[in-house]
Amino acid sequence: MTKQLDLTDIQGNVVRAYGRFGYPVARYVFLNIRHSATARQFLLAISKRVTSSVEWGDGPGQIKQPDWTVNVAFAYQGLKELGLPRSSLNGFSPEFVQGMKHRRDMLGDDGPSAPDNWDPIWRGNRETREQDVHIFISLNARLPALMEQAYQWLLEQVKAHEQGVVILSGHRGDDGSLLDYQDVKVVMENGKPTAKEHFGYTDGIGDPVFEGAPNYDLNVHGRGKQMEDGSWQPLATGEFLLGHVDEAHEYPPAPQPVLLARNGTYMVYRKLHENVATFDQYLEKHAQNYARHRGLALDNARELLAAKFVGRWRDNGAPLVKAPDPESKAKFDMQFLGADAAGKDKLLSDFTYDDDMSGAKCPFSAHIRRINPRASLQMVKGACPGSMIYNEGAFDTPGALANRRRILRRGLPYGDVKDRSRNDGNHGIIIMMINADINRQFEFVQQQWINYGNDFQSGSDKEILLGNHDADDKAPSKAVLQVDPQGDEAPYILSKIPRLVETRGGEYFFVPSLTALRMIAQGVIDPT
Amino acid sequence: MSNIAGKAYAMNVITPIRWYTTWLNKFYFWFALKFPKTLNGLITLSLIHYARWVIIGRNQFPHLDPAQPKENLKYSYMMFFSNFNGSWDQYVDSFTFAIPGGLDLFWKWNIRYPKSVPLTPFHNYIRYNQIETIHYYNAYPLAASNDVKSAKAVKDALIAFQKHELDASDEDFMKRYNALVRGLQHDLGDMHPTPIISMSAYQVQRRERWHDGRLKQEIEAQEVEAQERSQANAKGE
Repeated sequence: MTKQLDLTDIQGNVVRAYGRFGYPVARYVFLNIRHSATARQFLLAISKRVTSSVEWGDGPGQIKQPDWTVNVAFAYQGLKELGLPRSSLNGFSPEFVQGMKHRRDMLGDDGPSAPDNWDPIWRGNRETREQDVHIFISLNARLPALMEQAYQWLLEQVKAHEQGVVILSGHRGDDGSLLDYQDVKVVMENGKPTAKEHFGYTDGIGDPVFEGAPNYDLNVHGRGKQMEDGSWQPLATGEFLLGHVDEAHEYPPAPQPVLLARNGTYMVYRKLHENVATFDQYLEKHAQNYARHRGLALDNARELLAAKFVGRWRDNGAPLVKAPDPESKAKFDMQFLGADAAGKDKLLSDFTYDDDMSGAKCPFSAHIRRINPRASLQMVKGACPGSMIYNEGAFDTPGALANRRRILRRGLPYGDVKDRSRNDGNHGIIIMMINADINRQFEFVQQQWINYGNDFQSGSDKEILLGNHDADDKAPSKAVLQVDPQGDEAPYILSKIPRLVETRGGEYFFVPSLTALRMIAQGVIDPT
Repeated sequence: MSNIAGKAYAMNVITPIRWYTTWLNKFYFWFALKFPKTLNGLITLSLIHYARWVIIGRNQFPHLDPAQPKENLKYSYMMFFSNFNGSWDQYVDSFTFAIPGGLDLFWKWNIRYPKSVPLTPFHNYIRYNQIETIHYYNAYPLAASNDVKSAKAVKDALIAFQKHELDASDEDFMKRYNALVRGLQHDLGDMHPTPIISMSAYQVQRRERWHDGRLKQEIEAQEVEAQERSQANAKGE
């Protein structure tokens, strides 16, 4: 592919998951606008330091990797306060205008995930003008000391424009404290940074690859879109960036003027609390049954079962499709240890469900199968009872039902698990999902694939880890861990799945290009 | 008004078609029915209950009474009628993602049909020509078509299972039981209310009443009332 993107114009967090580029700590700061013109001056000052997607290098004339990065995004109310003309505001998508809190019914944010239980900053958002979240600023740093430096810089900018913007407080921290920022950092294991979250899973594997993204050709296998001839292609740029052609051969609906939208995108910010005690207890309880069921030693059964929840083994992210049992996992590990970075990525991402259509390896309710089913939804029941088969030629392209539901995932874990026997500590993940159409991409996946199972012919069975499982017995959740239809086992049923992850807040943001950011700051957005 | 009842959505789309090209469409329909493999994609989209296309000739519109003024229609019309699970977007998008070629073939001769790709003009075309459903009755509001198919599969398998002799050894029974559950492993999904797909005032209000228990109370009150009425009727007789 020859598409060349203007990387100096696209914000860095769109193309890079900073955690994987040597930035293990970050702070997310949210501001409220008090005076429009001063707020625009603040943005102008900030915009000089905003990190683009440009490739870094140490050579002469190259841009050096910064010690800390800065990125900016806006909630709908923020764009309004900044004085964008109504005709521009009208071009933003309805769900962005409405905001995450008022989309809670669509997202299944009920019970413990309902806005009443969100962090004070998110509870207050969209209630009164003074509490509205308007501007999002993310700072990622290479070291904790550099993080302080970055934060001090931001405080100085805010102070210099204190009539214009204020930092909103109300992020829950340790022991009930409320912070002025959302603190995130990688989880450490034996003093070393890991790519894990608090349940112990390796996270951030297999981000989609799109046309024009730097180095896409290295890892398009398993991360782009699956083609009829078995090859892989990068997804169309317009799935993730406005102003570029998307998978339906058109420019994604976007606000006017063109420069406001082009190279910008939408970002879904979500704070997800992890109930580590519930997770451990649930896993342990079922591990014992599962060990008997599969005739495995308890330790093996526990890890295999944990892998069945997600579709990947916890320790290194090995996909179940490639390593469905402890023996094949041992072989995978040998290969994995010997592989270089590109080889590791290939081992982790380059697979299809073509040989696992019945879900005997990776269950239909496992996390990765639900959020990216690849070509597996082109399925019909097979002749052998309990089997599903790939329905050759039914759709025009194998990834037909998945290609337009893809999401770039950014973010890091927050907090520490100090006591694994308690749920109420300060621990979870901040996930930021980037897509060109919040409704078609994020909301659809959340609603139809995480909180429902009809597309997977699994009725109301939800995704195991993130599903909004009922706390009471009125509509208890369960999942079927399928087995080989030609074998002699029975499927294993995970019954009464508790709510493992709870929403603690979030909002929909617009991530402008650097051009658009400067234009907003200068107050020159005008579609006429 | 609602296009939604329970988990199902009813869609009616009526599009004009030149009377002298309708024979082409009729030929495609005939061909598709004759060679069902051409409808493979449609069948694989398991959210669909059914879909039906009908050509209504410009002289075939009902004329119920001599008093009804005669219409002189310029076009014939193609009516598309479908029930499905999920949202409008999910349905229309699934069609265009999965079988854009098939869609274009069926609608090709319709006036101002923009083709199914790109998406936005196609969305606009369907919305413009869609007739809203005013009344929609659903006998099984909690069931998606997959739920019904699965329920039938479970029922059939259980009846067959029961027909076997019961004096088999424990081991044999276990083997047979495992085979039964394994054979049904894609039919065991739970049946609970659907995720929320509509933000219409009616649906939002209904949800509010459901959340705070009012809907349940109202239904119970209706049941009590119906019972009292039938008792009163019985006494009256």
